[in-house]
Amino acid sequence: MNSVASKRLFQEYKHLTTDPPEGITAGPINEDDLFIWEALIQGPEGTPYEGGIFPAELKFPKDYPLMPPTMRFLADVWHPNVYPNGVVCISILHPPGDDPNHYEQASERWSPIQSVEKILISVMSMIAEPNDESPANVDAARMWRERRPEFDKRVRADVRKSLGL
Amino acid sequence: MAQAGNQTSINIPQLLAVALVGFFALRWYLSKPSSSSSAPGAAAPSQRRNQVDVTKIEQVASMFPQLDRRAIAWDLHRNGGNVSATTERVLSGRSLDTPPPTYQPIMPSQATNNATSTPGRNGRLKTGTGAQPDLITRYGLQSRVSGKGKEAMLSEEQMRNSWSPDKAARAEGLRKKKEEMILAARRRMEAKVTED
Repeated sequence: MNSVASKRLFQEYKHLTTDPPEGITAGPINEDDLFIWEALIQGPEGTPYEGGIFPAELKFPKDYPLMPPTMRFLADVWHPNVYPNGVVCISILHPPGDDPNHYEQASERWSPIQSVEKILISVMSMIAEPNDESPANVDAARMWRERRPEFDKRVRADVRKSLGL
Repeated sequence: MAQAGNQTSINIPQLLAVALVGFFALRWYLSKPSSSSSAPGAAAPSQRRNQVDVTKIEQVASMFPQLDRRAIAWDLHRNGGNVSATTERVLSGRSLDTPPPTYQPIMPSQATNNATSTPGRNGRLKTGTGAQPDLITRYGLQSRVSGKGKEAMLSEEQMRNSWSPDKAARAEGLRKKKEEMILAARRRMEAKVTED
């Protein structure tokens, strides 16, 4: 079982290295443990996150790709769908099957035909377009909804600070 | 047996009675938490009461340091120790139920845990929200931010998208790629800041 997961992760690593999506760099922190990755995601253009680089950690379960990894930003990301502790809340990271709350369709959730690349691309578009139906960070969601200029300003300041400027 | 000496004939039934009462008392006590839970199916008899695996609690707690460990333990207890179900529940935005006061999970040094968990949690939350090092510090790039980045950009072009058969070379390539991504972002931001 482990070898299936390892092989698949290694293949995905290779694919992401040779044909990386724009603005995404990802791979295992140490190849001896293919189950922990670090990814850098570029802030999408035309959003307050533009210009920023957001590091995140992906932890894969031993039964990957049956079950999805978890993803956690390693820097402050003020965003309605990112928990204050950095954990990313996005439907593609939710285990297969139907949402008991009927918020999401099964097709939006994790399934083995998804991939790390798809997760990272989804997260990138999530950064650009927050979904405030089920916010992970209630304060950020409220600010995003009600005080957008303040939200944008805060994000821009965070981005600048994160680059040491 | 009953006709034997006075001492034994009294003691053995007494012992049996004590054992029997004890057994039923224990059973009544054990079945109490599961019957008060709203998911009796989850608390199957094979599930040892309260014995939620400590490592599982820790696993969930490390993912969501803001959560109360007792609430995590309670949720794990009710779903039969299914970590992913609890994680899923939290991630889907449903909060964990407050465990009933009678629920006393066996947790590692619970007393000290309770006493220190508040500052400990806050401390960890703080590193999660406030005191993150910037990327330059995190990746040790202080020495490279002041220089001009021309040569770095060239080398980035060279190593881009190559897959080395050598593990160390791959690790090195990935590291350089990440560094270059950060340095390039820093250069752009620097330019923008001076522009403003």
